[in-house]
Amino acid sequence: MDKKEFLAALEARLESLPESDKQASLDYYAEILDDLIEGGMTEQEAVASLGSVDAIAQEILMDIPLPKLIKAKMKPKRRMRAWEIVLIAVGSPVWLPILIALFAVALAVYVTLWAVVLSLYAADLAFAISAPAGIIAAISLFVSGKPTAALLFLGAGLVLAGLTILWLLLCNLTAKGVWQLGKLTLRGIKACFIRKEGK
Amino acid sequence: MDVQLKRGLLDICVLAAIKDEESYGYQIVKDMKPYVDISESTLYPILRRLETAELLTVRSAEHNGRLRKYYRITDAGLSRIQAFKEEWREIMSIYSFVTKGDPETHG
Repeated sequence: MDKKEFLAALEARLESLPESDKQASLDYYAEILDDLIEGGMTEQEAVASLGSVDAIAQEILMDIPLPKLIKAKMKPKRRMRAWEIVLIAVGSPVWLPILIALFAVALAVYVTLWAVVLSLYAADLAFAISAPAGIIAAISLFVSGKPTAALLFLGAGLVLAGLTILWLLLCNLTAKGVWQLGKLTLRGIKACFIRKEGK
Repeated sequence: MDVQLKRGLLDICVLAAIKDEESYGYQIVKDMKPYVDISESTLYPILRRLETAELLTVRSAEHNGRLRKYYRITDAGLSRIQAFKEEWREIMSIYSFVTKGDPETHG
């Protein structure tokens, strides 16, 4: 494969990208190839040293933010036929609510997960507040001459203080997990878009 | 190595490759290769990411009758390297504690 063929192949795979992103990628690889050739490689060697066009295109596409990818993909490659437009319009009472419902469910699941995280933190805050409260209660009980009750409250206060710390670790772990899950899901959705594009 | 960690490290390496003077894609890869496993195709998304984050700026200049893009580090990029150094000083001291007394890590 020579430089021209390589760039043409790359351009074909990046068809779904916005024009400016596509051009920037092609410029970059053209420059790299020129520099490799200047460094003493033949055109064929330079192209071969870059690796497979598919892998390169995949890497570029994976780095484009999802909304941009969707927007570029929504742009039809050919003009739609009249019956297709009619079909989409007529079918809209069916597919539009379904689409909205799907989005709503996905969003609800995500919000729910964060609600769990939030409630865990709220519980931790409650522990943090009640720990000193218990200790203060213990002091006042001790002063008012009820040492048994004071000891009980002191114990409860200390247990709560310990729980505050342990619980916070649990909270952070859960928050991190939900965050990672969200990121993984986004990557998964992105991969779906890209894979379809390659075919 | 952890993917996320490696990604972050490569960002720093690219910044380090341009920290003294501006450079271009091919030269950056050439400078990094003896130290890090990197290819031209891995470099590209990193450069774009760093440009978006304003850690480097890009200018085009003519070279042998064609355009070449030169990357220059910004102040934000320099302080990023500084932050990395401080962070790793701490990590290295933890490392030396963890490996203290291991026979195979001497020297």
